[in-house]
Amino acid sequence: MTEPASTIFLVDDDAGVLKALSRLLSAVGYDVRTFNSPEEFLDQHDPSLPGCAVFDVAMPGLDGLQLQSALTAGGATRPIIFITGNVDVPTSVRAMKAGAVDFLTKPVNDKDLLSAIERAMEQEAQARQTRSELASIKGKLASLTPREHEVLTHVIAGRLNKQIAADLGTVEKTIKVHRGRMMEKLGVRTIADLVRLAERAAIRPHQPQ
Amino acid sequence: MRSITKATLLPILVAILYFIGAEAAFLVGTLSDEIFAPFWPPNIVLFCALLLVPVRLWWIYILATLPAHVVAELGVGMTTPAIAVAFASNCAVAVFNAVAVRRYLRDPPWFGTLRKVLLYILITVVASPAIVALGGAFVPILSGEPLAHYGRAWAQWYASNALGGLTLGSVALSWLGAQGRLSPLPAGRRLEALVLGIALVVACSVAFDLAATMVASGFLPVLLYAPLPLILWLVVRFGARGASAAMLVVTVTLIWRALDAPSVFITGGPETNVLALQIFILGLAVPMLLLGSAIDEVRNAAEITRESEQRMIFTANKANIGFWHLDRATAKLWLSDTCRKLLGLPPPGGDELTQPAILSVIHPEDRPAVVESIRDAAYAGELALNEFRVVRSDGAIRWFRARSYAELSDEGRPVRIAGYLSDITVRKMAEAEAERQRREVAHLMRVSVLGELSGAIAHELNQPLTAILSNAQAAQHLLAQETPNINEIGATLADIVKEDTRASEVVQRLQGALKKGEIKTEPINVNKLVRSTVRLLHSELTDRKIKVELALTDGQPTTLGDPVQLQQLLLNVFMNAMEAMASVKSTRRLIAVSTHAAATGVELIIADRGRGIAAHEKNVLLQPFFTTKERGLGLGLSICSTIVASHGGEFSLTSNADGGATVIIRLPSDATQLMVAAK
Repeated sequence: MTEPASTIFLVDDDAGVLKALSRLLSAVGYDVRTFNSPEEFLDQHDPSLPGCAVFDVAMPGLDGLQLQSALTAGGATRPIIFITGNVDVPTSVRAMKAGAVDFLTKPVNDKDLLSAIERAMEQEAQARQTRSELASIKGKLASLTPREHEVLTHVIAGRLNKQIAADLGTVEKTIKVHRGRMMEKLGVRTIADLVRLAERAAIRPHQPQ
Repeated sequence: MRSITKATLLPILVAILYFIGAEAAFLVGTLSDEIFAPFWPPNIVLFCALLLVPVRLWWIYILATLPAHVVAELGVGMTTPAIAVAFASNCAVAVFNAVAVRRYLRDPPWFGTLRKVLLYILITVVASPAIVALGGAFVPILSGEPLAHYGRAWAQWYASNALGGLTLGSVALSWLGAQGRLSPLPAGRRLEALVLGIALVVACSVAFDLAATMVASGFLPVLLYAPLPLILWLVVRFGARGASAAMLVVTVTLIWRALDAPSVFITGGPETNVLALQIFILGLAVPMLLLGSAIDEVRNAAEITRESEQRMIFTANKANIGFWHLDRATAKLWLSDTCRKLLGLPPPGGDELTQPAILSVIHPEDRPAVVESIRDAAYAGELALNEFRVVRSDGAIRWFRARSYAELSDEGRPVRIAGYLSDITVRKMAEAEAERQRREVAHLMRVSVLGELSGAIAHELNQPLTAILSNAQAAQHLLAQETPNINEIGATLADIVKEDTRASEVVQRLQGALKKGEIKTEPINVNKLVRSTVRLLHSELTDRKIKVELALTDGQPTTLGDPVQLQQLLLNVFMNAMEAMASVKSTRRLIAVSTHAAATGVELIIADRGRGIAAHEKNVLLQPFFTTKERGLGLGLSICSTIVASHGGEFSLTSNADGGATVIIRLPSDATQLMVAAK
């Protein structure tokens, strides 16, 4: 069981189904929020809350797939599980291509649903972790001076201190100081760590002219 | 060639007959010393010839008889002026007779009714001989008789022509039937006629011979009456034909006997005797001929009645129509033979038919209505019940239709009620078969509509199943907790029950729509019907992204009808609306349904925003097999309009101004229907 703070966003136009699914997921320990229509969900959705979404496919107004694109267009990365009454291959393919976690058919078994939700939660947690790591890296990178940033691009390009100094028109000693301060600010000890960090932050190495 | 031969031969034949007639008359006449014949056949020969040939040929026949006339008259030593006057008067009689008979009796048969024979006598026995005798009487004068004898000469001339017309002429005309052909007697009656004729000759001869010896005794009248029974016999048996033939026989016999030997008429000279005889025969012949024609007329009328009755019975038998007749006063029912046969009742002759016996063959379910109908008919003059069933002795059920017509008294009250009864089983069976097939088609259409909807209906069933499964599994999880929340588990179970009910409702709706069977009539809330149909179509509507807008009246719009048929009606209309909007932008797809309580019932309006109705489709839209869909059968709307019509309502389709079509269904309210039913 994942962290109790995870929320499941349930959207289904059928009140009976919505209530039953909500009851099942609550019994298992999730925090469940139910929405009777896609419009209601879009109005009230808070992307910052951790958790996943379970959408019915056939709904009046926006259907499940349209809701999915509306959600991703808004920048949200919430994992989505679809449940549908009609097993319709083209629709399920479209949903999966658009990033759905799973496409389940009604009546849905609790094991299938729960395992899909667990996967979704994991995916969500991972993404969240990645996002927070990235955020801290970005913060560290932001603390670098322009000179230190410049030195960073040269270091990850595999250049020696002497070469860097020549490139930047300074002495090797100055480069060493910059380099030491940059490594310290970024919290890395080895060049390998530095390269991995720069890769994650999508910093491109310096290209010699 | 043939017609030329005929045209030449016939006038010659008439001339020969004319000559023979004259010679015969002279033969009879010359038996006495006088030259006058008691009756004169040549005029009748010419008359009959003129009657039978076209007017434009008359001159040929008249010319043809001239030589015969001259030869015959010269034979008895007539002078030229006498011959000329005699010929002129002979021709005048023939022409007068022929013209008048053609004018007044028209076409053959000339005899047959009393009126015709009376006219014939007036022409040929009274008018024509009397007028022509005015000239003919000069013939004896020209032959040397004194002018003082003109009166007697006129009388003789008149009598001989009148007698000819009365005897020979009426024989010819009564025996000539249609198209101037001889109408023979049936073989069996020829012998009877022959025997009677011979007996008449004998009776006349004997009576007159004996009479001559008995003039002095008081028994003379008795003898004169002797031939009468035979004459009457002939008249009664053979009508005008018998009368004319009898009178010819009597005339010829009497004249022959009177001239041959002294007889009843012996007191005067031969001419006086002959005149007396002629008057005697005229007096006898006229009433006999009239009696004969009267008998003919009665007999013909009876024959015509019998023939028309036979025709009617034959036709009624062949057409399986029975006649019946109800006497209002006695409430007695008379049935024709066919009627009895149709109803499976015993033929007449056995026991008197009683009302219970008649009623016993009627189908028990229809019997009270028939009894009431007969009773009411005695007052209203009309059968209220038109169709009923009869159970034959072999158990077969036949359908009958009865029609009635009342004979009203002056006060307008029915006196008698008559009518006919016809077997309409074949038609009824055909109707039932047509109805069965119509229902079968409607059922197949329902099945096919539901087939199209099967995905949506499966989804409709899937929703409650989903809810049930999730609820049940939620309950399992709840139970697995250390301190199970009993209240929550209870609520879960309650929801399971609710969802199960919902699933079974879907199944019931489906079963209802698929049902095949007798048509029921029950009160139906149109609002409920609309809601249930929208529920059944919920998934399909969602799938097709069609919104439904309901504006249902607050009242309870109720109609009497068959729930399955009305559901089918709405399903068809909704399916059409949905299909019509397939190519419309999804935000515009809307079906607006409204119900209204109208003056006479419920009005249901279903409007879509689809392709609408093209002008050229308007008139054929409701006809079977008209379709605009690629794979449509064209039966949907035709079934809709049939269903509405069978519920006593109206079904109409119009195009909307802003695109799309509107269906308006008017159904009578159940109160209106109950009132109509009560009436």
